[in-house]
Amino acid sequence: MPPLTDARKKSLRREMEALLGAGGVLSDPDELMVYESDGLTLYRALADFVVFPRTAEQVSALVKLASREGIPFVARGAGTGLSGGCLPAEGGLVISLMRMNRVLEVDYDNQVAVVEPGLVNLHLSWAVGPHGFYYAPDPSSQQACTIGGNIANNSGGPHTLKYGVTTNHVLGLEVVLPDGELLWLGGKTRDAQGYDLVGLFVGSEGTFGIATKIVVRILKKPQAVKTVLAVFDQVDQASEAVSAIIARGLVPAAMEMIDQLTIEAVEDAFGCGYPRDAAAALLIELDGLAAGMEAQAERVVAACRDCGAREVRAARDEAERALLWKGRKSAFGAYGRVSPAYMVMDGVIPRTKLPYVLGRVNAIVAAHGLRVGNVFHAGDGNLHPNILYDPRKPGEEARVVAAGAEILKVCAEVGGSISGEHGIGLEKADYMPFIFSEADLACMHQVKDAFNPTGLCNPGKIFPSNKACVEVGPAYRPHPIEEKGLAQRF
Amino acid sequence: MPSALPDHLRRIVGAPHVLTGVECSPYVVEGRTPEVVVFPGTREEVAAALAVAVEQRVPVTPWGGGTKMWVGSPPSRVGVVLALKRLDRILEHEPGDLTVTVEAGVPFDRLQAELGKKGQWLSLDPAASDRATVGGILASDASGPRRHLYGTARDLVIGLTVVGADGRLVRGGGKVVKNVAGYDLPKLYVGSFGTLGILVEATFKLRPRADVDQLVIARFDRLKDAGQGARAVLGSDLIPSALELVDGETLRRLGHGGGGALLVGLDGIAPQVEWEVAEIERLLGPLGLGGTRVLDGPERDETWRALGGLGRPGHDGVAAVMKWAVLPTQLAELMDAGAAAAQRNGLSAAMAAHAGIGLVTAILSGGADPGAVVATLVEWRGLANGVGGHAMVEWAPLAVKERVAVWDAPGPTLRLMKGIKERLDPGGLLNPGRFVGGI
Repeated sequence: MPPLTDARKKSLRREMEALLGAGGVLSDPDELMVYESDGLTLYRALADFVVFPRTAEQVSALVKLASREGIPFVARGAGTGLSGGCLPAEGGLVISLMRMNRVLEVDYDNQVAVVEPGLVNLHLSWAVGPHGFYYAPDPSSQQACTIGGNIANNSGGPHTLKYGVTTNHVLGLEVVLPDGELLWLGGKTRDAQGYDLVGLFVGSEGTFGIATKIVVRILKKPQAVKTVLAVFDQVDQASEAVSAIIARGLVPAAMEMIDQLTIEAVEDAFGCGYPRDAAAALLIELDGLAAGMEAQAERVVAACRDCGAREVRAARDEAERALLWKGRKSAFGAYGRVSPAYMVMDGVIPRTKLPYVLGRVNAIVAAHGLRVGNVFHAGDGNLHPNILYDPRKPGEEARVVAAGAEILKVCAEVGGSISGEHGIGLEKADYMPFIFSEADLACMHQVKDAFNPTGLCNPGKIFPSNKACVEVGPAYRPHPIEEKGLAQRF
Repeated sequence: MPSALPDHLRRIVGAPHVLTGVECSPYVVEGRTPEVVVFPGTREEVAAALAVAVEQRVPVTPWGGGTKMWVGSPPSRVGVVLALKRLDRILEHEPGDLTVTVEAGVPFDRLQAELGKKGQWLSLDPAASDRATVGGILASDASGPRRHLYGTARDLVIGLTVVGADGRLVRGGGKVVKNVAGYDLPKLYVGSFGTLGILVEATFKLRPRADVDQLVIARFDRLKDAGQGARAVLGSDLIPSALELVDGETLRRLGHGGGGALLVGLDGIAPQVEWEVAEIERLLGPLGLGGTRVLDGPERDETWRALGGLGRPGHDGVAAVMKWAVLPTQLAELMDAGAAAAQRNGLSAAMAAHAGIGLVTAILSGGADPGAVVATLVEWRGLANGVGGHAMVEWAPLAVKERVAVWDAPGPTLRLMKGIKERLDPGGLLNPGRFVGGI
């Protein structure tokens, strides 16, 4: 998009203020800078305006205005995304949904809730918790990320092994299409007739329109939870234990792996009780009925021991369980203890390929003269290699990006994917050909055209394209709340 | 049709794999006989056959096990039936990954038996699973009672390969259980009834088989009480794999007495299931529970199979079958109202619902008078639409379908659906006219 003239900016601002009120529009460069990045601070792009609608009708009016003027627009939630998906890659309008953050309706009998897109993920579980319910998808940024952002990215989390990802929990969406039309896809009842437009919209990374109301399933809280920590002297043993547990007929709620470098960082930062000299630890959580819970835990313990675990213990109480999870969930902040910056990758592999791929990851990173910490969803085969580096050292960042691409190539080679939960966004658009053919991408593009024929809705994402308008620049630094272990990135 | 088409197809797949003339009669779709039936042996042959048909502008109807060919509006013309039964290989089953990749023509029961050898299963339980193929189940989004806990095909497919109308192979998703790279194309194709492409290959995520799998039949004198029972189960700590609310007529057809019942699937390890059976009796006792029976083994399987089979045409004078999607709390009342409507029209109804999901299969029988059938279906649709739900005619004779729309009137989303259809099948040749809004 050619830059807007000052006169046009002024008149657009006036028009948007008339829609939203004076406090609803930002256009001062200092204020816009707050919105130039998401959680992947490697990329930055400045919007012309950031706007804060409070209703679906306002979103629709803004989108119509942008369409009329030929200005690109992109929805934004909390900005915790990790692929640059909500960046205004070609300038234009950032539509922040943070003022649309209400729980509109909870129907406990039918186990559904209707929420606005700016609602923080965890706040939904808080809202329904007193009635014994929760919202299952639990991205690790759930204290900050929004349900609308979760829709865009089809977000996962540690407990998706048993409960599935966002798309498995969304029944209906009120959306503003890229031409401004407001309509419902799906609803509270199941099996809407016709194509599964809800399924298609979830995970479309904001390129099909903007969700303004969301109908989600809420689940009954499980009667019992059991969390087990298994400690291994070799990473391969931990990988094998993941498959061994599954082979014993168990589907744990979560199975997370933490490697030695990460354990040391976590112990330095928080002291969560992980043994520092372990090569890897598995955090395994079972949930469900109280009856039979002990018997299932025994199966998990036996599987881990068979694979050579040197220590297996169950959390004795809720405090110990919370501490173990803190070690897992605050690993990202903890990396700040051992490195000035890191880049988080998000590849997926068949879980039986874990030993091979982890070996390759370590070799690739070492060949680039860097270090890597691994903390990831082992049960799903969803890797998160975190490449540690120092952005002040010239050339190191380029080596990180190169190593990251090689890691994703390995994931693709073993039949995996280049993103398990963070999305393609800007970051991985050029890697799409690792796993998709030209025909695959052409088909996706045709579907996109059906929703977004002008391409004004979140341009520059998902499909291989240029990043010309986007600055690449200084590296990630942990947010203070991450450093304190209060939130993390996945 | 240009007479050259069968010859073209014979050159692609070999003469023994092309049927013409009277040989096509087993492949009649809604009273219309196809001009040619072709049986490709590979996905490349599927692509080549489809390309030839599209080039000659002949409509193509994909055919799996043929168990749901009567779903949808009647087609205006049936040109080529493209049958997938020769694509019947299980390509890759890696038990450690809990995934399987299969060709579209694999019969469902055969797949399940193979997975069972490794202690795993694909957690779907569609009707007619002995003949239904994986591709057909996906295209029609078929499911069964266990969707209560395990979801439907959309939740279980992690990758699909499709031959598009342009004859190109398109893959969506992948082979790993978690994947957000690109648009979720598998969701688009599941339930699209062959209108966007021909499914040739699918990858699923699997589950380990449970140690114990039981079916509890909890009988009540009144459907209304069974409905209260369903709500009690849903609000409890129980984690049933299936929760079916059935009326007295359905119960009778399954060989049991009573005015209504809950059929509760329970699976897991022995102590879990034992606790759950006891908990059901404890919960439902005060709500008018007449008695329970716990089924296991072949008896359990036979009951589930019989329940799925009730709504299939040809069964005991079935006159029409409708599906309603409503809220779970609306079920019992709506089922009672639906039965009354049937009675007023001189017909009888048998109804079964996925109680936690809000889906009713309403089976109409007892008369062949199309007028009474039409009147009842129209009333039924009114009931479902009236509470904000939707209704579709799952099966009805052609004479009825001419007077009652199969699908609800499409809303504003039709524009999007047509936009997708026009882009992926610009010639409008993939199973045309059968789907929502005339797609």
